[in-house]
Amino acid sequence: MLAEKYQERIEKIFAKYPDKRSAIMPLLYVAQEAYGWISPEAINEVAALCQIDPTQVKSIAGFYTMFRETPKGKYWLQVCNDLPCALRGADQFYQELLDYLGIKDGETTADGVFTVEHVMCLAACDKAPMLQCNFHFHENLTMETMKALIEQWRAEAKAAQGK
Amino acid sequence: MTDTVRLIIDGVVHQVPKGANLVDAAKMVGNDIPVFCYHPKLAPVGMCRMCLVELGQAGIDKDTGAFQLDDKGQPAIRWQPRLATACTTVVTDGMAIKTTTPQVTEARDDIVEFLLTSHPLDCPVCDKGGECPLQNLTMRHGPGESRFLYEEKQHLAKHYPLGDLIYLDRERCIQCARCTRFQEELVGDAVLAFHERGRRLQIVTTSNPPFDTYFSGNTTDICPVGALTTADFRFGARPWELTGVPSICPHCPVGCNVSASTRLDRESGGKIVVKRIMPRQNESVNEIWICDKGRFGHHHSRHGERLTQPLIRQGGKLVPATWDQALALIAEKISAADGDVGAIAGGMVSNEDLWELRQVVENAHGGKDHKSLGVYPYRLSGAEWVAKVGLSKGSNFGQMGKGTTIVVIASDLSEEAPIWYLRVKNAADRGAHLITLNARPTELDRFAKSKLKISYGGEIAALKSLTEKPEVKDAANVVIFVGGEGLDRAGHATLMQGAASVLTSTGHAGKVNNGLIGVWAGANTQGAFDLGYSSEATESLLNKRPAVLILADADIVAEDAANVSLLAHREGKFTVVSEMFLTATAAQADVVLPRQSFVERDGTVTSGERRVQRFYTAQTPLDGPRPDWKVFAEINRLRTGSKPKLSAAAVMKEITEKIAAYKGLTYAELGKVNKQFPDVGGDDPYYGGTAYENKGGLGVQWPTEADQGKVPSVSMPAVGKARKLESGELLIVPIVELFDRKPAFAASAPLLHSHVPAPYVVLNSGDAKTLNLVDGDKAILSSGGVEGEYTVRVDAAVPAQTALVARNLNLKSPTPAVPMVGSIRKVEVVASHV
Ligand code: SF4
Ligand code: SF4
Ligand code: FES
Ligand code: FES
Repeated sequence: MLAEKYQERIEKIFAKYPDKRSAIMPLLYVAQEAYGWISPEAINEVAALCQIDPTQVKSIAGFYTMFRETPKGKYWLQVCNDLPCALRGADQFYQELLDYLGIKDGETTADGVFTVEHVMCLAACDKAPMLQCNFHFHENLTMETMKALIEQWRAEAKAAQGK
Repeated sequence: MTDTVRLIIDGVVHQVPKGANLVDAAKMVGNDIPVFCYHPKLAPVGMCRMCLVELGQAGIDKDTGAFQLDDKGQPAIRWQPRLATACTTVVTDGMAIKTTTPQVTEARDDIVEFLLTSHPLDCPVCDKGGECPLQNLTMRHGPGESRFLYEEKQHLAKHYPLGDLIYLDRERCIQCARCTRFQEELVGDAVLAFHERGRRLQIVTTSNPPFDTYFSGNTTDICPVGALTTADFRFGARPWELTGVPSICPHCPVGCNVSASTRLDRESGGKIVVKRIMPRQNESVNEIWICDKGRFGHHHSRHGERLTQPLIRQGGKLVPATWDQALALIAEKISAADGDVGAIAGGMVSNEDLWELRQVVENAHGGKDHKSLGVYPYRLSGAEWVAKVGLSKGSNFGQMGKGTTIVVIASDLSEEAPIWYLRVKNAADRGAHLITLNARPTELDRFAKSKLKISYGGEIAALKSLTEKPEVKDAANVVIFVGGEGLDRAGHATLMQGAASVLTSTGHAGKVNNGLIGVWAGANTQGAFDLGYSSEATESLLNKRPAVLILADADIVAEDAANVSLLAHREGKFTVVSEMFLTATAAQADVVLPRQSFVERDGTVTSGERRVQRFYTAQTPLDGPRPDWKVFAEINRLRTGSKPKLSAAAVMKEITEKIAAYKGLTYAELGKVNKQFPDVGGDDPYYGGTAYENKGGLGVQWPTEADQGKVPSVSMPAVGKARKLESGELLIVPIVELFDRKPAFAASAPLLHSHVPAPYVVLNSGDAKTLNLVDGDKAILSSGGVEGEYTVRVDAAVPAQTALVARNLNLKSPTPAVPMVGSIRKVEVVASHV
């Protein structure tokens, strides 16, 4: 239960806002950290904390791509292919990345290391193709630099697993 | 002319109300600006862009106020470079719009084309087809041929249940947010929301229970496509086969205007049957809304167990008889009773029925005798205060807001009269000062400026304190709803007087948007009071039953077990029951008369706001049952040789001649319709189609004494002695649940069965602790010699030494009709040994 485990943090968050409703997003981050994703239980817990209908929390979690509503791989790659990025070849880059990993849009690799999906503008249009991996930007990508990153992450994941 | 401003539409100057938005203003002068997301009952959001127009402002001469003219002598207008959304623009003086230019037409065409990029266009199998704004606007603006790739259409869930009442077709949704805004803004229960965005946007609910509010069906009316459909009607008929017949909801005192959609039905042997119930616009009553009880509660009229033949008791059994036999027997018994005749009428007996029934009783008595005309249920009283200072003629909750104080005492409106709840809630949102005075929390508390917690028995004291409150004393308008929770009949009568006293002593009687409303139990309880029936009479008729007792739509046995013995004792007694079904009461009768349902006949009922309203014959009547008025008139003919009237209208005409309050309320008068705003029932392509249009009449409120300038001075009743409870004793307080197990309701709305809670009792946490009970336990409640099993709910907000029990949930052992002392004990679960 978030309420018990993160009591202090939650209280601090609530203290920042005039009403409970405003704390939905920060609390969703707490939940995401605790559970790895925004599970249905997490939605209900946040709703109870904010004294609001769970549907409203679900709606907010769904609107923002930073919230994971399904369990994701260790590395969560969000590739922008909105119009400006697409003009700089993001669509093609995205497809090649998927092919390289052997998965389809939104899928997770069999080893659970990568989840890849496309998102709307991340405000780095001039540096496309770009993506964010667990909220960190990687810009001006080519398939070459991308492949290097993938292999590096894969190795890290393996090492972490071995530990 | 300060209330209107000049709006130039396509070069023509119109006068339109100040403050209106452009869509509404244009509509008022006959210009239809198409919309999808805008709805006149919801705040504009400007999401769909369908309402784009060219927008400009005419120059106005500061001194004369006249338009500055260009060289052609026309108003000189500065046009904005871009199109604007009409729904989010409020008209100002001299505003100008163009609605027919190529630029505007092209914009509308484009929006429709975009909406259709992934719309399934499955109109041939869509329930909305034929009354669908998207279909209509596609006919007008659609591209004819799609430029988009068929293979790239999205395929989404077609039958997604948002609960068990409403289904969502995700492919058809055009994301206008009317449904989510209805729930959030109007109902105050935000259980629907958007999820994701862009092309992935979808309507979701993750609430528990999901989409399950008393108003859910209304979303299917305002959804501009066939994305939301009711489990009751989906695939039931095509809209163009349906005829809308004006009717009145029979379920509560609000008197919502409804439209029964009927068609010649093959499955019903070619008869005309009701396929669905839709709201019918009456801005003074229900606007364009109805609750789910009204919408789904119409199936009783075609129920297989309807009585179709009179029954006569012979050798201890009820056996079928002809009408002639039954009525002759009744006439004979009445004649033999030597004036010892009484009648009790339930909540949905029309004014015409009540009138003819009254003639039966009065003839038997050889003249007037109101002491023998009772209403059922009989826990509410004090109707004379309504006659004096009832809600003033012309009042309208839709217009209440700042300056008006609304008091709700001893009532949970959301359960007892849902549309009153909705309208009071929205008046509070517009700034009305809402005061709730209840002994336990109610839904409406969420919107109240002051929630005054009172104790059962502390009602008068609470009312007294109101007179001193500035929000009441100094308010421009005051309306008081008086319910009967925690009160018996006498207590309710006193409370009505108390409320009348608050109104008169603070100068809030006889003015529009002021006055008293009794939250009666039935759709026509007010009519019964008006025609001389009373709760006091019921009480004395049940205490000392007359030789001949006539019960019309009054299931007195199902609601109070004590009445079984009253009827079962047949020595020298004779009971006549007029019912649609063989109810527990009918089973005890000597003669049972099959009555018609409200959709099989015409008549009038009077709402809790004293509005006398007409309902019309919608469905081919079953062979056999007759309308009560006809039956009672025939009994009179047999007894006195009087000439029976030939129509319900003729009966009403007599009422208008004999009952002062109903003077002039003929069928013609009640059937009149004025133009209403918002104008949603017409033949425009975007709101139209659904059965909103009112063609059956707006009804007429009869004036109170205060309306006629006779404001009485009413004294505040003395504060009664508080009820003393011994320790260990509990006060059993019956409360109302909208969806209950009353046989009549069960037959009318099978869809809602799963929404009826199991019998429950609510206890204060302290009491629960002493009684060693926790949430979910089973407990036996005993009161007035009746025992029944209930599931325990614990609620800290319930007063101590009190047990709340919803009425009509436990049919095996009826809950007491009025508060009484009782006790409760735990059902010990015997551990089973293997
Ligand atoms: S379901 Fe209907 S009302 Fe709700 S957003 Fe979709 S189209 Fe609009
Ligand atoms: S609020 Fe009352 S009158 Fe209106 S639809 Fe519901 S039950 Fe019927
Ligand atoms: S469009 Fe991709 S970052 Fe802005
Ligand atoms: S934007 Fe005006 S109707 Fe939708």
